[in-house]
Parts: sequence; C-alpha cells; structure tokens
Amino acid sequence: MLQEDFDRLQSLMASRAGYRLTRDRIHLAEHRLGPVARREGFDSVDALLAALWAKPVASLGWAVIESLLNAETWFRRDRAPFDTFARELLPAIGQVRPEGRVRVWSAGCSTGQEAWSIAIGALEAHANIDIVATDLSQRAIDRARLGAYTGFEIQRGLTAATMLRWFTPAEDQWAVRPELSQVVRFARANLLDEPTDEARFDVIFCRHVLQDMDPVRRGGVIEALERRLVDDGCLFLGPDERLDGDTVAFRPVSGRKGLFVKAPAALSRAA
Amino acid sequence: MDLRTCLIVDDSRIIRKVARRILENLNFEIDEAADGAEALTYCASVMPDVILLDWNMPVMDGLTFLRRLREQPDGKTPKVLFCTIETAPERIAEALSAGAHDYVMKPFDGEILQSKLMEVGAV
Repeated sequence: MLQEDFDRLQSLMASRAGYRLTRDRIHLAEHRLGPVARREGFDSVDALLAALWAKPVASLGWAVIESLLNAETWFRRDRAPFDTFARELLPAIGQVRPEGRVRVWSAGCSTGQEAWSIAIGALEAHANIDIVATDLSQRAIDRARLGAYTGFEIQRGLTAATMLRWFTPAEDQWAVRPELSQVVRFARANLLDEPTDEARFDVIFCRHVLQDMDPVRRGGVIEALERRLVDDGCLFLGPDERLDGDTVAFRPVSGRKGLFVKAPAALSRAA
Repeated sequence: MDLRTCLIVDDSRIIRKVARRILENLNFEIDEAADGAEALTYCASVMPDVILLDWNMPVMDGLTFLRRLREQPDGKTPKVLFCTIETAPERIAEALSAGAHDYVMKPFDGEILQSKLMEVGAV
C-alpha cells in the first residue's frame, strides 16, 4: 500500500469514525482490506482504494471503515467489571427503579460478547434488565444479533457451565438461547452522530473504545455518553482507560478500575 | 509469584507438548501422564494444584480417573479441567457433574486456557 493511500485512510477513519488509525497499522490495514477488495469485486487492495478515492461511494467507504476498526472482544473481558455490575450496581439501581428495571447501553459492542456477558450476569441475578448494544460496524452488529459463536469464541471468557446454561449447539457453533436474546437489542450507531432520541441509561459500558479514538473527537464522544446517562449513572471504561483532563463530568470510583460515576453526586454511590 | 503445579493427562504427546508450553507461560510447573491409571498413580504420591484431563485414553479414560480421584483423600483439592474433543452438551454436563471444575473443547489456545484457569481461580 502506498503511503499516500494510508494517509487518506487515516483521515477517512478520523473524520467518519473518529478512529485513530496509527502508523503501525499499515500492514494490518493491507491485510484487512484484502477480503473487502475480493468481496467488492476488485483485483487488489490498490484497485479498491483507487476506486474509492476516484468516486466515493458510501457503501464502499463504510465497508473499508468497518474492516479497519478494532473489533477485538471476548466474553467477560477483564472479568471484574461484570462482577461489579451484577453484584453491586444492579441490586442498588434496581431498588430505586420502577419494577426494578435497569437500562444498560453497550456502546461499541463489536460482535456482541460484552452485551451477552452483561445479560448473563443480570439474568443469573434475576434482575429486570434492558440492554441496548450498538456498534459502528454493520457486519459486527449482524453477527452480534445472530448470537452464534465458534468454539474458540465461546470458550474465551465463559466457563463450560455458563456456556451450557445460556447457549445451545447450532451446527459448528454455539447460539444464544432465546431467553438471553430477549433482553438485548442491537443497532448500528455511530458515536459521532447526534442522538436522535431521548433514551437515558443507568449504566453505560464503553470499554476499549475511547483508547482508539482520535483525540479531537474523544471529548465530544465523552460528552455524548454523559448526556445519555441519568444523574448518578455509571460508566465503565477499560480498566486502564482514564478520563483525566477530558472532562469534570465523571469521577472515578476508587477500588473499581475503569468505573466512573456521573458527577456531582458521584461520591454517594461510590461508597 | 509462587509456582503452581499442573498435571497434564493426555495420550497425545503433541497435545501434552502444546499444553505444557501454554501452562509454563502461565507460571505452572508441569508434569505429564499418558492415561488415567498413570495419573492416578502420580496423584497418590503428590497432588497437583491443577489437572488438565483428556477424556478418551487407553488403559483408563478421563472420566473414570476423575471419579476415582474424587474418592481419594485430598482428591477433591485439585482443580480439574477436562480438555477433549467431545463437544456434545450431555457429555460436558456429565463431566461437570462428575466433579470437573471446567471443560475445554479442543481445539483450544492459550487465551482460552488462561481465561478458564482464571474463572476457576487457578491463576
């Protein structure tokens, strides 16, 4: 891939997805675009990019963008946040909500493992839960909604007992049981877009997403997450992700890495 | 970090080698057995912290080994992870109810093994 092509990919990713495509990903980009080129009927990645620059077609542009996003995820990734959510937040929030209904947003859910992990924790705690899970990638959302995972994917983070309880064999894969899929709604959404509804959430999971974002876009996304949270609402980032300097709207919860509470009433919930 | 011990029980030398490499990276001290009878003899002298256990093996299969192990004094202390090509839910449930802490379907990789060991509290 020409350096010039990579430069243009960088600015495409930054402007449309807020994604920071770092220089060290040039070979990864080439590798990821190969299948996109084949799928879209081009002889090579170079031909695909030449066509894209010559006449930007929305669908082709998004196919390229989706392939370059960081889609890595697995069940119960980092483990602790899911236990904190199910054991501490869920009972506390459920107590003060009508019918105990807790609303959760998995923002940047990729192929769905995070949303299912949240759902499993909630249903095993017999909680009343409503999960919305969104991702920029339509392909990721399609896979998430299908809820079928390979032997490698299903075993990464789930015990066999949990797998048997919530999934059922479907050909060579393991598919979510209907009782689980009932509590999760998947939709494609861009974190850069202005909200088109007034939905508010008690807890937002936006983990390992901000770390890949363009610094210029990060602040706006954090602000949008804050607007989507109820007062005292909780935000989970990745355990090593921080909000220092980005905003005063959130306060970290001590002893719970990656957990933030929407200010100003932050300290009361943290205890 | 203290070294924990793991006994790998599998009749395939290749699987034992692959598993050994993964587990050594997770700071386990490894021993190997090629079937359930060999493993039972090993456990009679020293009980490992973790046992990675194949199902189908000559001489004594994994499930028979597990049941015999659990009858022994101290036989309930090792964390046992089945590691086999059996993927039928009934077989998995059978292994779990016989006292396995978790169950790994082959093929597996380091990330799977690590996450399973974390879930059972062995790392």
